[in-house]
Amino acid sequence: MSAGLTLTRMADDVFEVSVGSPRQAQALGRRLRGAGRAEDVVAGLDRVCVRFHPDRISEIETWLNAIQMDDLEEQVSAAIIEVGVKYGDEDGPDLDAICTTLSLSRDEFIALHTGGVHTVEMIGFTPGFSYISGLPGTVDIPRLNAPRARVPAGSVGISAAYTGIYALPGPGGWPLIGRTTEVLFDAESDTPFRLRPGQRVQFRAV
Amino acid sequence: MLRVIRPGLQSTLQGAPRTGYRHFAIPYAGPADPLSFALANRLVGNSLDATGLEITFGGFEAESEIACMIAVTGADGNLLINGAEAACHETLRVKAGDRIALTPPQAGSRTYLAIASGFEARMQFGSTSTYLPAGFGGLDGRALKAGDRLRAAGSPENLDVLRTPDELRPVLTRAFALRACASSESHLLDPAAREAMYETDFSVGRQATRMGLSLEGATLIPRSDGRMASAPVFPGTVQCPPSGVPIVLLCDAQTTGGYPRIASIARCDRHLLGQIRPGDRVRLIRRTPDHALRDYHDKQALLDRWLRSGP
Repeated sequence: MSAGLTLTRMADDVFEVSVGSPRQAQALGRRLRGAGRAEDVVAGLDRVCVRFHPDRISEIETWLNAIQMDDLEEQVSAAIIEVGVKYGDEDGPDLDAICTTLSLSRDEFIALHTGGVHTVEMIGFTPGFSYISGLPGTVDIPRLNAPRARVPAGSVGISAAYTGIYALPGPGGWPLIGRTTEVLFDAESDTPFRLRPGQRVQFRAV
Repeated sequence: MLRVIRPGLQSTLQGAPRTGYRHFAIPYAGPADPLSFALANRLVGNSLDATGLEITFGGFEAESEIACMIAVTGADGNLLINGAEAACHETLRVKAGDRIALTPPQAGSRTYLAIASGFEARMQFGSTSTYLPAGFGGLDGRALKAGDRLRAAGSPENLDVLRTPDELRPVLTRAFALRACASSESHLLDPAAREAMYETDFSVGRQATRMGLSLEGATLIPRSDGRMASAPVFPGTVQCPPSGVPIVLLCDAQTTGGYPRIASIARCDRHLLGQIRPGDRVRLIRRTPDHALRDYHDKQALLDRWLRSGP
């Protein structure tokens, strides 16, 4: 199999590349961003988008076509951060529905969620929103049919087998299981993002 | 110095978009209608992305505490100085004590007020633009309130009076035609829905913010199980949740999303998004990506003759 990139057009000024995993997406994103040629490089869970200035389309296309996927470096931290979560009730209005879907009691779900070590795969959506893997693949929760107009800061949701944390208030389409009291984003800090791709996380019920 | 008397529904300081931070999930922000914004800055001799004021739905009033040069562009409302109608798209000399007011627009939603040398604002993550959800930039990261005082970075008083050439003044009505391209998940719409996307007179829903606006009128149900892996989105991306009501993203667009991306508003027409208001009619005009880029170059060439000919 060729290790080159397959480009599609996500918009008139955006190329998109599909990749095999969130960690590959992060690694490719870092590589492309480092070249400093694009207006922006953003990694999703299984693709990377490259937004370019229209004047540079030929140059960008040639450059992307020459990129090889072979030697991308994936990064995962050794340290584990503990994240306290208040599960259910008004903090997690969708917890009971999720438990029903999974045929689990609340306690069983909380044991599942706090039982293992999770990994931040992506920061996306709005500042500090972390996509965290670690639930078993048997957990497969769809998003809400229509997003909520406003979700409080710290809300913890589940989508597919990802845990997501809303660091800021705003609209949100993930079913909510609880809320963390941790501050994950601080615009005034020199290190505003507490969670980064590759960071390992353990949830704790509070 | 400009003292705010009435801020209107939502007034913020905006400058350059906050580019280069999207991989930290920090949205661009910046003016919702960057063309009107650039035209205002051009009239007062500023760089095109100098910090200016974005005013939503008029209803704004301020008093100038110094003599200064300003220009107003954007939504189709009346500009009043000391109660007398004044010209938009023209360099205006304002005296200390003059009152600047905007009536609610007949069409369009956002007015831009530029001041010579630009307003002072907080620079965060490389930009002065206000991003309200996280409180970045602008004046303490928030919308303006009565009593706020906006300081200009300098106060030149003797600029030449300029007028935006007539043919470059965007004409705003309550209907918008927006050129658009297919996007990565367009194939999840069945062929009839893909046609409907370009043949429907959409009506804009009640939620029309700097983040996004909804298009009502055709139910476009993508074949999706609600489990799509979150993928990058940008201003101009048209997302479609399973409800079938597409959402067009604007300048404060989130950086990734999990709803199918069924179209993208072409770069050449994205500036119009900032003027669309609830109840407006929207028609999408189909373009291939390469055709859309040619449209961009054509429009930009026309604008650059004026915008890039400045001091």
